[in-house]
Formats: sequence, structure tokens, C-alpha cells
Amino acid sequence: MSDHKPKKTTPTEPKKFGWIAEYADEHSLLTAARKVRDSGYTKTDAFTPFPVHGIDEALGIKPTVLPFIVLCAGFTGLATAAAMQYWTNAIDYPYIISGKPMGSWPAFIPVCFELTVLFSAFTTFLGMIALNRLPKFSNPVFTSARFDRVTDDRFFLYVDSSDKYFNKQSVQELLSGTGPESLEEVVEDSTPTAIPRIIWYVLGCLIMASWIPAAIVYKMRQGKSDQPRLHVFLDMDFQPKKKPQQTTTIFPDGRSMQPQVAGTIARGQLSEADPYYLGYDPGKVSLLGEKETFLVSTQQKDGDGQAAPAAAAALNLPWLTEVPVAVNDELMELGKRKFNTYCAACHGLGGDGDGLVARRADQLAQGFWLPPTSLHDPRVRAQAVGQIYYTISNGKGKMAGYGPSLDAKERWAIVVYARALQRSRNASEADVPEDKASKLKTP
Amino acid sequence: MAHSHSHAVSTSNVAEIDNTIDIPGKRAHLVTGNQTFHSITNMVCRIAEEPQPTLWWFLFAFSSATALMFVGLIGYLIYRGVGIWGNMNPVFWAWPIVNFVFWVGIAHAGTLISAILFLFRQNWRTSINRASEAMTIFAVVCAGIFPGIHVGRAWLAFWLLPYPSLNLWMWPQFRSPLLWDVFAVSTYASTSLVFWYMGMIPDLATFRDRSKTKLRRMVYGLLCLGWTGSSRHWLRYEKAYTILAALAAPLVLSVHTVVSFDFAVSQLPGWHTTIFPPYFVAGAIFSGFAMVITLMVPARKIYKIEHLITIRHLENMNKIILATGSLVGLAYATEFFIAWYSKNPFESFTFINRAFGPYWWAYWIMVSCNVISPQLFWFKKIRTSPVLMVIISIFVNIGMWFERFVITVTSLSRDFLPSSWGYFTPTPIDGLMYFGSFGVFMTLFLLFCRFLPIVAISEVKGVLSIQNHEEHKAH
Repeated sequence: MSDHKPKKTTPTEPKKFGWIAEYADEHSLLTAARKVRDSGYTKTDAFTPFPVHGIDEALGIKPTVLPFIVLCAGFTGLATAAAMQYWTNAIDYPYIISGKPMGSWPAFIPVCFELTVLFSAFTTFLGMIALNRLPKFSNPVFTSARFDRVTDDRFFLYVDSSDKYFNKQSVQELLSGTGPESLEEVVEDSTPTAIPRIIWYVLGCLIMASWIPAAIVYKMRQGKSDQPRLHVFLDMDFQPKKKPQQTTTIFPDGRSMQPQVAGTIARGQLSEADPYYLGYDPGKVSLLGEKETFLVSTQQKDGDGQAAPAAAAALNLPWLTEVPVAVNDELMELGKRKFNTYCAACHGLGGDGDGLVARRADQLAQGFWLPPTSLHDPRVRAQAVGQIYYTISNGKGKMAGYGPSLDAKERWAIVVYARALQRSRNASEADVPEDKASKLKTP
Repeated sequence: MAHSHSHAVSTSNVAEIDNTIDIPGKRAHLVTGNQTFHSITNMVCRIAEEPQPTLWWFLFAFSSATALMFVGLIGYLIYRGVGIWGNMNPVFWAWPIVNFVFWVGIAHAGTLISAILFLFRQNWRTSINRASEAMTIFAVVCAGIFPGIHVGRAWLAFWLLPYPSLNLWMWPQFRSPLLWDVFAVSTYASTSLVFWYMGMIPDLATFRDRSKTKLRRMVYGLLCLGWTGSSRHWLRYEKAYTILAALAAPLVLSVHTVVSFDFAVSQLPGWHTTIFPPYFVAGAIFSGFAMVITLMVPARKIYKIEHLITIRHLENMNKIILATGSLVGLAYATEFFIAWYSKNPFESFTFINRAFGPYWWAYWIMVSCNVISPQLFWFKKIRTSPVLMVIISIFVNIGMWFERFVITVTSLSRDFLPSSWGYFTPTPIDGLMYFGSFGVFMTLFLLFCRFLPIVAISEVKGVLSIQNHEEHKAH
């Protein structure tokens, strides 16, 4: 088919393209086609309602290159799939899945196959369309009213005027000799082919308008805003709960974060409020708690007398004078074990401040060693059990605190054992129980 | 421009012609009733040209309302979340995945008829391929919806695609069968669409040339891309059609294979078996052909195209249903045999649990519908009776839905640890959404009947030409 651009011509003298003959069945068409081919015409074509077998040979149509194009597309799809999977899963975003290698080729096979088919299928269709030069809505053959039956039950044979042997007279004679139902000259398609201007305007406006949302999105992404991000779906960004520092209508004071109610202890804060954990009674602290005192003393730049030094405040805390756990053999045994493990290295097994570490330090005589305190020092003996507990928990001087290493019960057990050690050096005969007294007097 | 088609085919009831008898040395007629090229054109085109029967309007009103309900339920699902379904620990796949596999299975018949039967030169495919291809596409639409909404945050389903993201900074996981499924189903959907559309181009041109109104001529003219029926075009068109068939044939087998990988690649007893790919493919063809029978038997009656879709066409399809139904039955038996033969206690438990556990009713519905009912097609009386074949085809599809239910739900509900066992109960919304997907499918199918050529006109003419030629030689 020739691809003449339709030009404005007067309807009385339309441009002629060639001859078209109509046949009632495929056999007459084949016979006619062979005759036309044998007469040397090559710019010919047949139009049929279904593919008539043998017409390619009868018209001398060459086979198509389409399969090779599809083959190339198939390989492209295969290579694309292989490269995509290997690059994304093994190079750009390596991620171990059930111990498989990053480039797990067996697992890549299905997608490789699918993309091979996908690329090939679309190329087959689009290639067929492109090779056939479709879509083509304006075609000289459409000018014949009889041509409407080409998709129903009529078979047409066409000889184009651009054929080098074309001669209006001889082609007419040749075709009428093949016994056609009708024979017509194909004229230019005079129906206007231009798309109405209004459609262009509407299309143009639509294309322009389609940029507006894109521009808004671009501006939103680039620019800054003090407003929260726009969420179509809230996902988990917004939850029906109140956060600290927010307002609320639930409480009369309008604050979502409420102060602690007097006489209560917050969950997880028992160790900061119970004498058992502290060694002193926080309810009896008159001025400032130990912790607060410490905070004030460290935060204030110029000591103004209000905040006493931490150590001094600590010494004046309302210490527990009674051990807050049941004292029995089991506790004593635990205290002995823990004392010998954690304390005896410095304080010595008897609590005299002569542990192995202390003795070695004395041998080295480096001059800066502060000897560990003896538990039998009258100053220590005078301390309340709460203060000894506090010292074990938080440390003192060079001694580190053992709060993180020992739980509260173990620390109290050590306190009990330390008291027992102290008492062993300062006991009178009266302290010995009746049943053991005879044992004491034997030597 | 329009011609006056003088000899319009009578639209009165057509007598059923028995073309199922095989006479040695003679090919049975696939187009009956002394048709001409023109009468074939007429028979198919008038379906989309004449006003639709009252039944069509009734069905369309019902199915489009059902489809709208489905859309509404999807909106509700997105608003409320997947908790509106019965999906609960340990059965999180449940109905959405059962429905997905069910619809993907149905989608297999169209391409099988178009591609594999084309490659085997089975001329009887020509009258039924168009409608079954359409059915394929509509079934894939229904299938695609379910995993899309099952992901929970449906608006982020596009994360499945490997696109360079500015927000995620990561890529999909190509070692997962679920991602293979995304590729397989979307390739299948798009390739089937191309195949279907390309096959329709010559027939759309027929519609264009018969148009009585300017609008109709313009719309069909645009759709057929200016098709003229040029022999050069036909040459490339036929080559392209063969290539597409050759591509679609392995594709159709791969799709349900990959769907079966979703199950088989996992470790769950009852899922972790190598039989799954062939077993799933056979089941898919089985259910797909059943759906074609369910739809085409009433359609040929309503639209009076019994001369094009003859009893022989239907009988051939029933033979395929019989063959694939027996394959499916063999697969069920093999599963049980391997469960015993493997001496794997979990595997044996799973299969005994399927047949006699809490879901015994689902299992026996599946067996009676899928294994027993198609065996009736051994009788020629049954496989050539339109009413009986429709009833059996409906049973087959009930059975195939239950097959997917049995596989998905029984394996998930009782796996290795008895402490993590559970019983799945669907909600009414589960049922309504499954029903709604039928609304989508039927709406699309009815619109297809109303606007597009439901029989491949040009291909049937090709078959008629061969038939006339053979007749001519015989005389």
C-alpha cells in the first residue's frame, strides 16, 4: 500500500491509486492473484475476511522478520530479569534469606521465565502492529462502499498505480478477465482526517492540568512547612493516645501528663521509695531527699548554703535501725557467702581491713593507698544497720557501690553478717548461749 | 456506507444437530447448518447489534449490584482493616487466598484453549476461544483483587513491584515464591489481554464495517486500528498469533506452578510436596473448563449460536474435564500414598486430619464434586446433554473451591505443634466478598457479550473454508 498523505483536492477530481477487484470466494481470488503475479505486478495486495492459505505464494509475499525481533526481545527480557534480580538482591540490597546465597540463581528462574515471556509477548503484538503500519485510520481502499464487506464475505485484489508496469487500461483488462464481482478504481479518501481542533484544545488543557498535582507534590516535597505531613492513610503515625506535654479535656487541669498522687508510688519506682531498698526511710527526710540533694548540689554553680554537700546530707539521713528482713541461719549463711566473695578481698575475712588486696598494697607502699576501713572501728560499730546497707549499696570513698551486683536481700544479709563479725570481737560471756557455754569453758 | 444485508439468518430456535458421531475417513463438521461466511458474520454480530434480551438486563442489574457491593466491602475493609474477615491465628491465609487460587485456576481455560489447542491444531477451539479468553481476563481481575486486599495495607500493594523508591531504600525479595507469584500473575494477565485483544482486531473491523451509526463506526474503527484484512497484514498477524500461542502455552503452565510454589516452598505438612505444580495445573484446567461450560451452554442458547458452538465442542470440553478430573483424583490418592509411604508422622497426620479431622465435611465435598461427579462424563448421554453438563460443571467448581479451602485451611489450622492449633471460622463478610467477586466477573462477562465479538468470526470462517474445501474434494 502506498502511504500518500491526503491533501485537499476538489471532490470532482480525486487522486487515483489503482484498481480493486471484488471476488465472491477465496478460490477465485487465488486464481486471479496468480494471474496478476504472473503478469509481473508486484505492488499488489489482497484483502480477505480471514487468512486465505496460499495467498502469500500467489501474490509473492515475503516472510516476515517478526520472529527474529521477538527472539531478541525474549533475550532482552531474560537478561533484564537476571540483571535486575542479581543487582537488587545480591549487590544493592544484600539480605540473607534462610541461608541462601545472595545470588540464588535457582530462585531467580521463575521471574527470568516470566519476564522473557512478557517482553516477547508485548514485542510480538507491538511488532506486528508496527510492521503492518497500524493504526492507520485513513486508507484509500475505504473509499469503496463495497469494501465494507471485506470483513464479512468478500475477497478483494488490489493493484497499486505505483507499480512500474502499471497502466490503467491493461490492469483493468487483466482484472476484468478474472471474473470479478465488481471492479473499481480506488480514489483518495476524501473524508477529513484531521482531528477537530476542539479535541486538540481539550487534550492540551488536560495535559497541562495533569501537571498541577505533580507540581504540588514536587513543591511539598522540596519545601519546608511547620504543618504536619499530609496523611491519606494514617498507618501507625497517629494513635489514639496522649503524649506528655499535650493538652487534654479528660482532666480538669487540662494537662495530659498528671503529677504523682500523694502517698503513691509509680510503677517500677518502688526501689526509689521503699526503705527496704534504700536503707533509710524517705518519708522521714525532713528537708530534701538524698537524691534531690545530690542533684541540687551538682547543678548549682555557686553554693548558696541552701544545698548541703551530698555526703553531709547522706550522713544525716533517717537510717533504719532494724534489719527489715527476717534474721535466721539461712540469711546469715547467705551473708557470709556474699561477704567472703565481694567484701573479704579488701576488708579481710574477719572484717579487720586486712584483705589480700590491702596487704599487697601495704607491701607495695606506694604512698597513695587508702587502707580499707575495719568493721571493728568504733565509728563503724556506732553506725545504724541502714547506714551500713547504704554504704554497701552506694559505696564510699574509694569503695565502689555494690547495688548493681547484689540484690537488696543479699546486701541486707551482708549487713547481718557484718554485725555478727562486729559482735564477735566485743562479746561478753553472757552473750554465749546456755548450751554452748560449757564448750567455751572446756579449755 | 452500510449495505442492506438481504439474507439475514432466521433468529428462530435452531434445532440441535448431532455432530458428535465420528465417521471413519470423514471429519465431523464443526460449523453446522449449511452456514456461509455471511451467515456466520450475521450470527455473531447481531449479538452486539440487536437489543439484549430481558434476561441480560436482569442478570446485569443483579451482577452489577453485586459488584458494587464488593467495591463497597473493599472500601469498608480498607477503612476497618482485615479484622473484618475471619482470618485469625493460626489461619491467616484463609478465604482471600482460597478465592485467589480459585479464580486464578478458572483463568487457565482461556489461554489453554487459545494457545495449547492452537499449537495442537485443534480446530474446535475456534468457536469457544474468544469467550474463554475473555473469561480468563475477568477471572484474573477477580484473582488479582484478593491478594491485593489481603496484604492489609492495600494502598501500599505497589511495594511488591521492584521500583527505585525514595522512601523505602530497599528492593523486593526475589527468593520468595510470593514475589514470583506477583510476576507470574501480572505477566499472565497482561499477556492474556494482549492475546485476547489481538485476536479480536479482525472481528472489531467486522463490527466497524457493519456499523449503522457514526459513533459506533468511530469507536470500533479506533479499536480495530484501521484493519483492512490485507494479506501482508494477515501474514504477520498469523505469525504473531503463533508466536503468542507458543509463548502463552508454557506461560499458562507456569502460572499455576508458581501459585503452587506459594504453598510447596513452605515447610508446612500438606503443603511441602513436589506433586503440587502438576496437581495444581491439572486442577486449574479442570475448573477453568468447567466454568467455560457453565457460561457457554446458556450463552449459546440465549444468543442462538448453537451452529457455531456445537454439541461436539461441548463434548470435547467435557472429555478434557473428565481427563483432568481423573488426574486430580489421582493426585489426591498419590498424596495419601506418599503420606503413608514417607513414614513422616506429620505428613500422615495431616492427611488423616484432612479426611477425618474437624474439616472432614470440606474434604468429602471436595472428593465427591471433583473425583466422582466428572466420572459421569464416561457416559456419552451425559456428556452431550447441555443441562446435565452444566450441573456437573457447577459441582466441579464447588469442588475446586473446596479443594483450595482444604489445602489452605486444614494445613494451617493444625501444623506441628498442637498448642498452636486452631479452628477457622469465616465471617459473613468473607462470604459476601467471595459472592461479590462473582458479581465483578459476571458484570464484565455480560458487558463483553454486549459490546464485543463473543466468537472469533474470522477464525470460524477459516474453519468453514477448510470444511467446504474437504467437502468439495470428497464429491
